Amino acid sequence: MRDHRRRQLERALDSEALWPLMVGFSALYLAFFVGYPVIYNLIMSVQHVTLGNIRFLVRPFVGLDNYAKLVADPLFTMVVQNTLLFVVGNVALQFLGGLALALFFQQPFPGASFFRGLILAGWILPPLVIGAVWKWLLASDNGIINYALHGLGLTSGPVYWLSDPATSLIGVTMANVWFGVPFNMILLSAGLAGVPRDIYEAAALDGAGPLRRFFAITLPLLRPTIYALLALSTIYTMRAFDLIWTMTHGGPVDSSNIFPVWAYRLSFELFDFGGGAAVSTMMLVVVFIVALIYVRSVRAEQLS
Amino acid sequence: MRRDFLKGTAALGALAVLGARWPAQAAEAITMWHIFGAETEPGLKNIKRWNETQAQQIDQKFVPFGQLSQQLIKGIATGDVPDLITIDNPVVASFATQDALEELSDLVRASRVIKADQYYAGSWGTTLWNGKQYAVPGEANTLALYYNADMFKAKGLDPDKPPRTWAELHHAAEVLTDKDKGVFGTAFCALQSEEGTFQFLPFLQQSGASLKTLTSPDAVAALQLWTDFVAKGLASRDVLVKRQFEMTSSWLAGGSAMVISGPWELQRMKDVKFNWRVATLPHREGKDIEASALGGYVWGVPKGARNKEAAFKVIEFMSEPAQMQQSWSGGRLAPVTTLQVESPVMPEAYATFRKQMEVARPRGPHPRWPDISAAMQTAIQEALTGRSPPDAALKKASLVINPILERTPIAGL
Amino acid sequence: MRKSLLFAVAAIVSGFYLFPVYWMYASALKLSDELNANPPTLIPHAPTLAAFRWIFERENVAQYLWNSLLLSSGVTLLTLLLATGAAYSLARVRSIWMDVMLVGVMLSQVLPPPLLVTPMFVIFRQIDLINTLLAVILATTTKTLPFAVVMLRTSFAQVPVDLEEAARVDGASRVLAFLRVTLPLARVGYIVVGTLVFLLAYGEFVYPVSLLNKKALQPATVGLYSFVGADYSDWANAMAFASVFVTPVIVVFMLLQRRIVSGLTAGALK
Repeated sequence: MRDHRRRQLERALDSEALWPLMVGFSALYLAFFVGYPVIYNLIMSVQHVTLGNIRFLVRPFVGLDNYAKLVADPLFTMVVQNTLLFVVGNVALQFLGGLALALFFQQPFPGASFFRGLILAGWILPPLVIGAVWKWLLASDNGIINYALHGLGLTSGPVYWLSDPATSLIGVTMANVWFGVPFNMILLSAGLAGVPRDIYEAAALDGAGPLRRFFAITLPLLRPTIYALLALSTIYTMRAFDLIWTMTHGGPVDSSNIFPVWAYRLSFELFDFGGGAAVSTMMLVVVFIVALIYVRSVRAEQLS
Repeated sequence: MRRDFLKGTAALGALAVLGARWPAQAAEAITMWHIFGAETEPGLKNIKRWNETQAQQIDQKFVPFGQLSQQLIKGIATGDVPDLITIDNPVVASFATQDALEELSDLVRASRVIKADQYYAGSWGTTLWNGKQYAVPGEANTLALYYNADMFKAKGLDPDKPPRTWAELHHAAEVLTDKDKGVFGTAFCALQSEEGTFQFLPFLQQSGASLKTLTSPDAVAALQLWTDFVAKGLASRDVLVKRQFEMTSSWLAGGSAMVISGPWELQRMKDVKFNWRVATLPHREGKDIEASALGGYVWGVPKGARNKEAAFKVIEFMSEPAQMQQSWSGGRLAPVTTLQVESPVMPEAYATFRKQMEVARPRGPHPRWPDISAAMQTAIQEALTGRSPPDAALKKASLVINPILERTPIAGL
Repeated sequence: MRKSLLFAVAAIVSGFYLFPVYWMYASALKLSDELNANPPTLIPHAPTLAAFRWIFERENVAQYLWNSLLLSSGVTLLTLLLATGAAYSLARVRSIWMDVMLVGVMLSQVLPPPLLVTPMFVIFRQIDLINTLLAVILATTTKTLPFAVVMLRTSFAQVPVDLEEAARVDGASRVLAFLRVTLPLARVGYIVVGTLVFLLAYGEFVYPVSLLNKKALQPATVGLYSFVGADYSDWANAMAFASVFVTPVIVVFMLLQRRIVSGLTAGALK
């Protein structure tokens, strides 16, 4: 009898039905806790929502009016532009910085793992603190970065990092890249660790130099990690809010205003909840595209 | 491995049980959300006093100021509102017209503690909309001119004669600016937030202009004053990204000779190493209009609060002289004219701010104040960054603000 | 020679990179006005522990940190538990549904936290979990789960299927093959993801502030905000608090890092 039971269990643990079950758990969890907010937002974006009716689910339907208003707003082009620049700049710089550090620390030398661990400390700081510290560092009058640049003779006068609309985005990007590099570094390090040593040794024996080894072996094997990292990095950067809010409030003159900042201002300062929801839905579309690209890459990887 | 899995699940289950059994709050407690973060806040002391003597306790929750709007909106959206909340005064009309606050007119009329004529007209005005009462002023603050008397003396200016007109202010700023030492003559806040509007409006008003006359030469002159300060290097460019207290931090560290800020900064003056003074804001020559900003939180009862009467009793308690006397220890003024703090700390500053309160003007009240303020902030920043000349920037703002004011005028404007 | 050169470069790079962290510690030791001194002071003129004394006297720092620890541990446990099954299936099975799942998982990350707050609150009120640490754990897991799923999926995908097939040929069930073969080989991924998830949860702010009313339950991230006032932010004390908040994690991490990070240089499967 027990044997039969045992075989039943084993068969159950071996069945094909296990797959969807395992995924299902997480899927349900996310669908419940996050799906509802996403749908909640979607619904809000096509309604006229005020403080008076926000507690009800059924509110006046206005179709795509909220979206039309946003697109017609002179801020729209500025915010789209800023978001594009901010996301592309951040993802690229964080990735390159992380990759450089990961490759560097892959080399065997005393203290390598110590320093790599130490660099992760930057990621632990709360955004409020990062924003405050970088605001001090980038202050035009008494910021240490300006002092250093001036001392090295690289600039003649103060650089108005945050107060000049032309450079405010650069200023917040610096802080955000600083924040994101350890994350990229550690994940790329994990990916690099998965590359078998013997392949390198074989290639070296064949006479391949370090650069060739990198492009021909490392990069292709690292591809799944890179795609995952870039996809996540893009999505996380698109959501960056706290840092910019602390440093510039989206200014000056909306020069560092990106989608999440705009959504916040619309919802919680101007009480235009429909507008805020519409902005987040627009973000959803962008993320959807990024997710599609990522899934395609996963498919390609699975085929190879 | 499987055993670890089971252990983990059991642990989670235990956590779930623990969580669900966390003690629920007493049904009669009066829930209050407030912005009193530091333990030294007079508001917290008053709450303690209530809890020591009253049967029905206050269950208080600190909400960071930046989160207040968000949390209240979340509360309204989910029907889970506190009984009492501190609101920033310019948004009362927005909340009132969107049916988010309980009407308190009858309670106030019947109250023996809260009397309209005791309050500063501006403060009281922020709590009314369409003749109905939606809040009660909790505290008041305004803006004045802080200056470094030592720096004045060093540059040959008389610290007993602070600038009284814009011309004198401009002149003093020029004299006091010292590029080599990294000292700016003056400082103020032009951040793209409510603080920027808060700081600029007194200048607009002293110029004889108003939100309805933004394209007038008077309005342009006010913005031009600020623009010149930044363009000529008399004030830091960082006024565009720093909050009021950050500009005061600079002043405290000797980064500027003067700064426009409010009484909340006085708590930081204890360890100041230089001779500092406060004077009322200089006014525009030839206009002789005294005006200053009016800030401070008000007490509101969100719509749907379960203990409305009890919450009002708390408001009355907080409005009693014994409690209001505490405010000055935190650098806040009581919103009533009838109160004189006995031997206040920093008596000269207290006298100056009280005098300034008499001419403090409210923002609005208007249900679409946030939109009006946003348009002003943009205009200020466009002018100060040199993106647009002041008249063009103000014209752009007026195109947004005029239709709003036509639909719903601001009382007395 | 080469090794000492690399060491020197590593030290310099780390030094530069960690400068903002140093700035935070230095600011915690400065008096308020020195924070805004012009020119800025690299080393505090008169280092003082006044800020630290202040925060320990006035705030229950130990309680804040304990809540943060509970929260982070809970989230890490729950996330890894839920993510494992999903990541493994997504790594091994190819079907349109899996693709849909993956897209869905990524989409769930898009909303900025302030906009998630209201619907989250509604959910937790329905299941009567408001004002519990469990609610915050569940809410924060929605943030960490997609990340864990995506990264663990990559880890699992790197484990060759043949090794699992070999185990199954030997008579093991799918689950057993997974537990005996795949999981150990994905160890590095778990450690890294676990660490990052823990750190992500440690820094969570929006959910605790929205879902918890009692101060006794609040984690340290909310405590930090009590220094950021309506009109004035107490930066010296805030930096002291932030230092106390960050240092235990850094210390523990540095102590464990040899174990954590050693996996990263071991080079893996032979």
